Amino acid sequence: MGAAPTLMARPGLFEGYDTGGFYDEMFRAPGQPRPPYAKLFQKFAALAPSHFEERRKLADLSFLIQGITFTVYSDGRGTERLFPFDLIPRIIPNSEWRHIERGLSQRVMALNLFLHDIYGPQRILSDKRIPRSLVYSCPHFRREVIGVEVARGIHTHICGIDLVRDSKTGEFCVLEDNVRTPSGVSYVLENRIVMTRTFPDAFEDLEVLPVNHYPAELSRILRSLSPRGESEAQIVVLTPGIYNSAYFEHTFLAQQMGIELVEGRDLIVDGGVVYMKTIRGLTRVDVIYRRVDDEFLDSLTFRSDSVLGVPGLMGAYRAGNVALANAVGNGVADDKAIYAYVPEFIHYYLGEEPILRSVETYICAKPDDLAFVLEHLPELVVKAVGESGGYGMLIGPAADRKRIEEFRERIRAHPRNYIAQPVVPLSRVPSYDSAEHSIGGRHVDLRPYCLYDGDKVTIVPGGLTRVALEKNSLVVNSSQGGGSKDTWVLRGES
Amino acid sequence: MLSRIAESLFWLARYIERAEGTARILDVNYHMLLEQSQQSYRLRWEPLIVMAGEEDRFRKLYGEANAANVFEFLAFRSDNPSSILQCISKARENARTIRDRISREMWEDINGLFHLANSFVPRDEIAAGPHRFCDKIKFGAHRFHGVTDATLPRDEGWHFLRVGWSLERAEMTARLVDVQYHNLLDGPPAANALDNHQWMAVLRSVGAYEAYHRQYHPPIEPEKVAEMLILHSQHPHSIRFNSTEVQAGLRAVSGSGVGTYTNEAERIAGRLVERLSYDRIVDIFQQGLHGYLNDVLRMCGSIGLDIARTYFYYAVVA
Repeated sequence: MGAAPTLMARPGLFEGYDTGGFYDEMFRAPGQPRPPYAKLFQKFAALAPSHFEERRKLADLSFLIQGITFTVYSDGRGTERLFPFDLIPRIIPNSEWRHIERGLSQRVMALNLFLHDIYGPQRILSDKRIPRSLVYSCPHFRREVIGVEVARGIHTHICGIDLVRDSKTGEFCVLEDNVRTPSGVSYVLENRIVMTRTFPDAFEDLEVLPVNHYPAELSRILRSLSPRGESEAQIVVLTPGIYNSAYFEHTFLAQQMGIELVEGRDLIVDGGVVYMKTIRGLTRVDVIYRRVDDEFLDSLTFRSDSVLGVPGLMGAYRAGNVALANAVGNGVADDKAIYAYVPEFIHYYLGEEPILRSVETYICAKPDDLAFVLEHLPELVVKAVGESGGYGMLIGPAADRKRIEEFRERIRAHPRNYIAQPVVPLSRVPSYDSAEHSIGGRHVDLRPYCLYDGDKVTIVPGGLTRVALEKNSLVVNSSQGGGSKDTWVLRGES
Repeated sequence: MLSRIAESLFWLARYIERAEGTARILDVNYHMLLEQSQQSYRLRWEPLIVMAGEEDRFRKLYGEANAANVFEFLAFRSDNPSSILQCISKARENARTIRDRISREMWEDINGLFHLANSFVPRDEIAAGPHRFCDKIKFGAHRFHGVTDATLPRDEGWHFLRVGWSLERAEMTARLVDVQYHNLLDGPPAANALDNHQWMAVLRSVGAYEAYHRQYHPPIEPEKVAEMLILHSQHPHSIRFNSTEVQAGLRAVSGSGVGTYTNEAERIAGRLVERLSYDRIVDIFQQGLHGYLNDVLRMCGSIGLDIARTYFYYAVVA
């Protein structure tokens, strides 16, 4: 790290900016940017507020016209909304990124080995390194796929692992794993495109590592899974349809990879083989990148009321006639109670020390933890183990009495369904507050996207930075008022 | 190509075309009818609703037709499935389900048109009259054609689009001629000048006014207008031109040669083109215009159904 440059730039847009006692990723103290941010700070500080506003509107319009929207269901009718984009980029220092990369690769490999073991010989259970009851009581554990040999031994083709920077230590740690159908990568790519269009000058003199090789790498991995060999492989993306909140992403990935986007009704299983219905008759399908959850995949095996999947699909999968990515049953690995055991998986399967720290977790299924959690509810974050997207969550310090009591009842009724963690004071990054027309510190997390090809893990530099745009909010989920930022890893800089 | 995608392309085109056609008819006729009201001519708004095929729904909602409610119904009502806003919305919905298969430019164009159409405030537009709104829709639809032409590969998908909008256009023109012809001829006798005026409006509503004058001499005669709109071999809104387009599109998909067919839709399209190519306008009037156009509409309907049977639907096998 070089000597701190002396900065003569006026604070401009950052006038009166307050780091508020949190780890601020841009400023180590008011008016003093950290070295990786020095150039960016100067560019933004020099910008007139009216110019900033103008470019912000341009970016919003660009997202609207492109139809880069997600659907929210809380209002009962499913409304399309823009995913708010914050124009001030977030920089992950290069040296830190390399550390994160190593840590995530290790974690993804361990999760994959765990899944391979748990749906195979279950050595980890016989060796009693994790309670059998905890695994078998997991709502997303799928007995139906025990003994199913997956293509090339890969379960976790695509993982989105949520990291947060703890303000107390300034260090990145893992908040949760998403190894079922993680979404958001399209925003990483689109944010970059919109950023280069609206703020070309911000990229001057900085070498930002590119992210656009993601679809090609994903396509390469999917192709390698084909039961009929790579040259003939027919690969499709399976979407639940336009009402799914991530529909835009499904179309985006299909288009980028140049493969067909299908819905369940486009596919049919005949004689243990999957086909798609074309205007010229049936065409065989080899690999399905499915964005439909396990329980909706096949009405003959899972939920019989599902029309999103393909009846008979699991039969074709078991017979090895079609490959699915991600594999079926991955939910057991990102269960929030199982999360507490991932460091143990790293020890057990890899014989290594975890590179990235996890957040301390109380498992309500354990009587001692349960007692502690019930006693300390106002200080803790409580999460339902099988949920994602910020649903089914209690943030103790921000909740009123009624909501805390409501959760106390729920936890007592179904302890296995809950875990609790201390509140992590997330780091902050300067973000634009459109209500106040000023820039303030807002809490962020980071979701890098990891692609595993059976030998190595590839991660596009950076990932999705989600930002809680509401002042003082800690919830970054898009469904709960979060936005996103372009996330930069710079070449060379440390 | 997935059957579902072919189907979405077909309907995307039809809805865009329907929105444009409704906007044209509304724009032209609205102003003509308002002028007539000053001449204390009985207002005849119903034909506009008849053309859209929505008489029952309209009557339930409004009862008596007038300038404001016809405009509102045809342009904005969400409970009228053929209203311009509904057509644009459905076109966009279809585009959204296949946005990975159409060009990015096409998607952004139709999405932009959707947001534009929804930015109009119905109350203000009803006060201002339909021209401003209809013009935007018309121009938006033209632009979508242009963007499509410039960015979409000429593969099967292109041909499904082409079949969709040609079939819709043929039907729109058939309904327009049928309704207007009887409306004008069965109505109370009027001065020639006024008749002229109304036939001008018919031509304008399919953008054929100038072309008519290049082809025929004044005055405007109903039989000639009908001839132009039904039998013209080159005008992009004539029934014959569009039937030929439908046939060509279907052949491009199936690869059938001239004089042959591989499915029912192609067979009927072939018969339709043949009739329109060899019938003369006098023959048509001899056997009755209304009956003739009804046949045309029935055949168009069968073509649509048979396209779906051939390419879109898979029988459910237990």
